[in-house]
Amino acid sequence: MAKLEILEFPDPRLREVAKPVAEVTDAHRQLLDDMFETMYAAPGIGLAAIQVNVQERIVVVDISEDGSEPLGFINPEIEVLEEEIHQYDEGCLSVPGFYETVERPRKVRIKALDRNGEPFAIEAEGLLAVCIQHEVDHLDGKLFVDYISPLKRNRIRSKLEKSQRRRA
Amino acid sequence: MSRDVRAEAARIIAALLEEQGSLARLLPKAEDKVEERDRALLRELCYGSARYAPRLQLIAAKLLRRKPGDTLVSALILLGLYQLEYTRIPDHAAISATVNAARSLGLDRATGVINGVLRNALRNSEQLQRKLSGNPQFSSIHPAWLQQRIKAAWPDRASGIFRANNANPPMTLRVNTCKISRADYLQQLAETGLSAEPCPVSPVGITLVEPVSVGALPGFTEGLVSVQDESAQLAALLLNPLPGEKVLDACAAPGGKSCHLLEQQPTIELSALDIEENRLDRVRENLDRCGLSAQLICADASAPEAWWDGQQFDRILLDAPCSATGVIRRNPDIKLLRRDEDIAELARLQGEILRSSWGLLKPGGSLVYATCSVLPTENSEVVAAFIAETVDASDNTPELLNGKSWGEKQPVGIQLLPQNSGGDGFYYALLSKAE
Repeated sequence: MAKLEILEFPDPRLREVAKPVAEVTDAHRQLLDDMFETMYAAPGIGLAAIQVNVQERIVVVDISEDGSEPLGFINPEIEVLEEEIHQYDEGCLSVPGFYETVERPRKVRIKALDRNGEPFAIEAEGLLAVCIQHEVDHLDGKLFVDYISPLKRNRIRSKLEKSQRRRA
Repeated sequence: MSRDVRAEAARIIAALLEEQGSLARLLPKAEDKVEERDRALLRELCYGSARYAPRLQLIAAKLLRRKPGDTLVSALILLGLYQLEYTRIPDHAAISATVNAARSLGLDRATGVINGVLRNALRNSEQLQRKLSGNPQFSSIHPAWLQQRIKAAWPDRASGIFRANNANPPMTLRVNTCKISRADYLQQLAETGLSAEPCPVSPVGITLVEPVSVGALPGFTEGLVSVQDESAQLAALLLNPLPGEKVLDACAAPGGKSCHLLEQQPTIELSALDIEENRLDRVRENLDRCGLSAQLICADASAPEAWWDGQQFDRILLDAPCSATGVIRRNPDIKLLRRDEDIAELARLQGEILRSSWGLLKPGGSLVYATCSVLPTENSEVVAAFIAETVDASDNTPELLNGKSWGEKQPVGIQLLPQNSGGDGFYYALLSKAE
């Protein structure tokens, strides 16, 4: 297992669109393991492959308190079950230290492949629904800051760029 | 996605409300679950909410028709009120972030109540303050039972004690004078850019003007200094063991006083006892960092038959389990965790440990009884009752320590009250055993 580097906004690689996984291989299973390790170490509750510079449609999620409910999705597809809007202050491992309110449908169904390439589907609401939608957005090059005003987004961008320059 | 800091803070406050653990135990685990840059906020939210809880609970009670059935909801309300009243977080952000935390805890149904209470508190802030200002629990920011006990024990000093208990504590260091002198270490701090002053009574104490993380202290990992309040540093000074003596630290964890005893008199033969194995690990870590060694024993100080070899000790330090009402500023969760009825039970336990420790002491030896309580029930009353029933015990507590007067003289022993930017509240009695 290996901990991977998480890309930070405004890194242009976070804007790439991930490609579907044609066939689930050992390399993908290894990637899933590494992504879980990276997510738990961050620590976070969700991570998309795009965030660790792999342009494939893979996300991992665990919203439990004790790391007991790991969920891995390959080629996830989201279907909205309830249009009712749920507001949540989202934060992102690629936009560290910032939280902004984002509105999303409150209940969704996710269809995906598991680590063995078998198709499965789950329904999610509340925090789990928020988290999965947030991660699947990453696969399309989209970040939660895209939902807020350009003014706020640019402020976050310049603050992060400043701290990145300091670290460099 | 990253985790919601306020949801983690609410979980901790709820655990305190249900008496399921202390901040010292709960916070480190929660810190691992949030990103590094959010940890300072998590800490501030938890410590602040606990510190102001007696006041915030009164405000919440005024605004709620009935107590929420779910402790997490009560915790979120305290957390929200704390942010509104005592932080620079903008009001709208404090409210929306707290409501958000409720959502991430799956309490969607409670968001209306939480939002309503916080908005009401904001709207009626002045009126609420006015209504509650005559309530002693509100003005002292202490639970009513403790406010009454402190007021009864210290009628003229109570307001100062409350103020000190509610303030942020200073960070005080103990210099390991086996390795470096206090003057030289002060010099090192100055060179590092840290302002500090020597403590008035402890000859090895230094108080920093601003607290820093221990990582920023020169030579911390090499054991040049330890973090220890000045009042706690007086234990070793008072016990004053001589070279080669056999010494017992009867309730040693986390080991600060054990280390100090060995630094002060390296040739003593020290046994460090504690009842909890995992707390004894802390003693071991502290000894290792300071490059010291002692015999560590996991046992109950009040049941010597289980561990004692029959060799009496020249000196014993009995830092008894207590209400910790002298260190509330460092452990504000005491305001939520202690109950009035705990005090009598603690006094009984303290008397028991004192009686059984006495048998381990050589004739002609001395024992220091110490607590970090400000309540005479746990202090002078316990020791006075012990002396009255024990023919070979006498109070020998000096009025001067290191040539300086050092606290409030009691019928037996000396009480140190917590001081703003000074030492913690502690009680000490030095008892001598007749030859």
